[in-house]
Amino acid sequence: MASPGGQGGGALSTRGGSGARRMKWALELSLGNTRSRGDRQGGQGDVVYPIGYSEKPVPDTSIQETDKNLVEKRCWDVALGPLKQIPMNLFIMYMSGNTISIFPIMMVCMMAWRPIQALMSMSATFKLLESSSQQWLQGLVYLIGNLLGSALAIYKCQSMGLLPTHSSDWLAFIDPPQRMEIMGGGMVL
Amino acid sequence: MAKLILLWLKCIILYNAVDAVFEDQVGKFDWRQQYVGKVRFSHFDTHVQSSKKVLVATENNVFAALNTRTGELFWRHVDKSGPEGNIDALLHHGQDAILVVGNGRLLRSWDVNVGGLNWEIVLDSGSFQKACLVGQQGTVKHVAVLKKNIISLHYLSNGHQKWIENLPDSETVDYQTVYSGGNGEVYALGIVPHSHIVIIAYSTDDGEIIKQISVEAPWLSNIVASCAVIGQGVLICVDSATPSLYMYNLNPNMDDLQMTQIPLQSLGLEVAPDFQPVLVSHQPNSAHQPLSEFFLQLGPDNFLLLQFNNGQIVTLRDFKPALLVSFATTGEKTIAAVMSPKNKTASSINLFSAETGRRLLDTTLIFVMDPNGGKPEKIYIQPFLKKDDSVGYRAMVQTEDHTLTFIQQPGRVMWTREEALSDVVTMEMVDLPLTGTQAELEGEFGKKAAIQDGLMSMVFKRLSSQLILLQAWISHLWKLFYDARKPRSQVKNEVTIENLSRDEFNLQKMMVMVTASGKLFGIDSKTGSILWRHYLNDVPSNAAFKLMVQRTTAHFPHPPQCTLLIKDKDTGLTTLHVFNPIFGKKSHVTPPALPQPILQSLLLPLMDQDYAKVLLLVDDQYKVSAFPSTKNVLQQLQEMASSIFFYLVDSSQGRLSGYRLRTDLSTEQIWEVVIPMEIQRIVSVKGKRPNEHVHSQGRVMGDRSVLYKYLNPNLLAVVTESTDTHQERSFVGIILIDGVTGRIIHEAVQRKARGPVHIVHSENWVVYEYWSTKSRRNEFSVIELYEGMELYNSTVFSSLDRPHAPQVLQQSYIFPSAISTMEATLTEKGITSRHLLIGLPSGGILSLPKMFLDPRRPEIVSEQSREENLIPYAPELMIRTEWFINYNQSISRVQGIHTSPSGLESTCLVVAYGLDIYQTRVYPSKQFDVLKDDYDYMLISSVLLALFFATMISKRLAEVKLLNRAWR
Repeated sequence: MASPGGQGGGALSTRGGSGARRMKWALELSLGNTRSRGDRQGGQGDVVYPIGYSEKPVPDTSIQETDKNLVEKRCWDVALGPLKQIPMNLFIMYMSGNTISIFPIMMVCMMAWRPIQALMSMSATFKLLESSSQQWLQGLVYLIGNLLGSALAIYKCQSMGLLPTHSSDWLAFIDPPQRMEIMGGGMVL
Repeated sequence: MAKLILLWLKCIILYNAVDAVFEDQVGKFDWRQQYVGKVRFSHFDTHVQSSKKVLVATENNVFAALNTRTGELFWRHVDKSGPEGNIDALLHHGQDAILVVGNGRLLRSWDVNVGGLNWEIVLDSGSFQKACLVGQQGTVKHVAVLKKNIISLHYLSNGHQKWIENLPDSETVDYQTVYSGGNGEVYALGIVPHSHIVIIAYSTDDGEIIKQISVEAPWLSNIVASCAVIGQGVLICVDSATPSLYMYNLNPNMDDLQMTQIPLQSLGLEVAPDFQPVLVSHQPNSAHQPLSEFFLQLGPDNFLLLQFNNGQIVTLRDFKPALLVSFATTGEKTIAAVMSPKNKTASSINLFSAETGRRLLDTTLIFVMDPNGGKPEKIYIQPFLKKDDSVGYRAMVQTEDHTLTFIQQPGRVMWTREEALSDVVTMEMVDLPLTGTQAELEGEFGKKAAIQDGLMSMVFKRLSSQLILLQAWISHLWKLFYDARKPRSQVKNEVTIENLSRDEFNLQKMMVMVTASGKLFGIDSKTGSILWRHYLNDVPSNAAFKLMVQRTTAHFPHPPQCTLLIKDKDTGLTTLHVFNPIFGKKSHVTPPALPQPILQSLLLPLMDQDYAKVLLLVDDQYKVSAFPSTKNVLQQLQEMASSIFFYLVDSSQGRLSGYRLRTDLSTEQIWEVVIPMEIQRIVSVKGKRPNEHVHSQGRVMGDRSVLYKYLNPNLLAVVTESTDTHQERSFVGIILIDGVTGRIIHEAVQRKARGPVHIVHSENWVVYEYWSTKSRRNEFSVIELYEGMELYNSTVFSSLDRPHAPQVLQQSYIFPSAISTMEATLTEKGITSRHLLIGLPSGGILSLPKMFLDPRRPEIVSEQSREENLIPYAPELMIRTEWFINYNQSISRVQGIHTSPSGLESTCLVVAYGLDIYQTRVYPSKQFDVLKDDYDYMLISSVLLALFFATMISKRLAEVKLLNRAWR
């Protein structure tokens, strides 16, 4: 009977015989209509309520608490995100192997870059966690997760041999030793 | 940052090998010059009037034909070096050239036209004396060879022996020469010194002795030196004691036992004091008699043209002063050429009729003597008949400095050949100076200028020099533009001494070459053209040379300075020749007089106030003198004396000794090693090259730790060979000894091995090659020294403070060929991997990567060795044809290879010298710092431009689109 468009926009008028005579139904979009003004004036005391409006207050019992839980949960999700990625990273690490080629390098770069990026945008994450009561704990967990992630990336670099941790990596920077003695000569001419 | 780049470069060049040149690169960076050596015999090819050949047989055992128009080689045959290939005689008849080789061991006939061998026969043993062509009835069919005790006759057509006869009384009689006048007889002339001449006439047909006479000649000691055969078989000798001419007719009908004496005084002639007169005769055709005219030299500059006529001697003409004389024949005419001095720098050659002694008109030729050359020594005349039947000629003059100059009338030099370059003793490569304008700029802001001038004038100077630079740049651009329009072949970059300048990458250098004859050359390394030459006329024949660069071109306005130490091995006297290596001019710096024999010299890295490195000379009293020896230098020496050491190796006594300099320039012996002379002798000592740089201080192992190199700059490698040459007992020893302390670092003995040992000592390795008598093959051995996993002292190296002995690794390999010489490549910073340049007797220069000679090559491949890029050990070293850096440009008798760094790290300049000179560049790690020759500049730039425009256009389009969307 009711048009779906009318539900939010205005009141559906079913009363008044004169209107029913002229047309089957009408949707009154504007409340300040000339015709309905007369109607309103006619019934001064009663208020036109929207459909589904109940004058009695509905008692609200559980919504507040579940919301809080949800926020908390959500914050923990955020905080534990980096930690959860570690097994995945381990798997990728294992799969990519230790050879230096373009794909393992790309993966290692991703692995290293993500925690660093996360650590750089730490303040934004804290803002997210602001609503949580365990903000500091979550922040700490988040930090540890990211640190672990980057440690993992460093370990990967290490196992791939990309870190200058050996003496051979610094070989090129050793200057030739200075000569203390001048020597020359040869066969007697 | 630079180091980081270097590190990256090292990663790039870790594994690589030399590529052979491409076909279009042939002759682009390399050149070869072929020489023949000092000419001993020379004949013009006259059997065809238009022939352009001159045949030369040289003291370097080379037989060649030169083009008389250009001086280039038509063909060349290089025989064995040493007495085995020695060319004893050259006879020329028609198309054939007959050579006697190896003290009469071989008789060879060559085709002159193509240089092919007609035939070769082995002669009977015996010391060779003389050979001559034997003619009969106007044709030459045989060649007679006289040896100490036999005479043999061979057919000219196939070399077969016609007959051979023993010479009678060959124990007492010294048979010296053989003569044939074309009348069916061959005369062997022998002498019992200070007693009599023995003349034996053989029949050409069967070798039967027709006649044997001995003639009294108590005054004669040598036939070859003082006799000649003239006219109808008249032996004429000259005696300086009497002084007189003696004559004897060889004609068998006469039976005189006495020689006719004609005192020179009766002819109104006089011999210069202390001069042995010389006779010069001429036999135009071997089938006919010699001329009856001959030259008699009475003094160093006095020649006489004499004629023998019916038993009388007539003086046709007296030439005084005259330097050289020569006979020559064309057609029926025989002429005598006389070279006489004109003034200090020129001499003139004139032709005279041999029969009359009359001067021929319009035959004067001026020979301008090079002030930096030697005196003329020999003259060869090529006469020809002109259309009007007059005689024209060309002359080839050989000078003391082994130069051949070919001149045409009236004195135009057609070509010169610097045959001294066939025997280069030592060389250096010197950087060229900056261009004049650059040098001017540098000089302007030198210290002297700054003191003299005020601020304003400095500003003006600056502006004017900038203007000059701009001008030079514009003219350079203009030249580029101008040249670009011309076809490539026409663009000539003539290099002269005036426009010499360093190129961008210092790839063009001045090669300063010292030759055994005492002539110095400055050669442009890019083109091979000789830019200067300087002949030192007082150089003894057995001199030892040592060339040192005291000041490079880096110290403008001071000229570069080289010092050549020349030591006469007999007298021990030493002279220094100080010169400018760019222009070859003798320096105005007077070298010190050296009264004592000099044992060794030592070039210190110290400089005097004029930036010349100090040269220390050690004399036989072990006193040291410095050159230059200014106050400043002496003061520096006093300060440094305690850290200056030198070593001397006396191979005749088997002694190595080390000395330390005292502040008063005397010395103190601090160590001595004696190698017992009875068992072994010292063959050579090799230190490291002073200009060598080692970039990497260690080697990276498979587990990424570092094995540090033992880089002792004072290390010497001493090679000894056993005196016992029996193949079971002979050995070769290598002793590595510290030159400062005398400490023996390592000793290796190669048993059942024999020399000659070729050795290269560089960085932390020694590579040597020897002959293994046990396995009868050539073997390479490499020794590498390492400090271990830790450096003892990474900042300074002192031989006096080295408590730990280095680790020594050694490995040996089989090499499939004998080698002539060996050298290692050298680059500016020592980053590029090293190669060994090996000169092979075949004439090839092999570039063998040092990687193959690495004692760490594993027998069993492991993960780590693979990580290190080590090649698994294989005893055989291969010769790959693409390793030959000189492709088909063989270099005969390579004696030495000189390597020099260029401005590019990847590039090493190489000069190989021997009989030939070859210059090229090598890239041991390929050209990692240069764009390739065929780099497509067009493609890259067009792509770049296209991309640039594409971005511009797409940017504009994107803007338009955005705007449109906003309007909608």
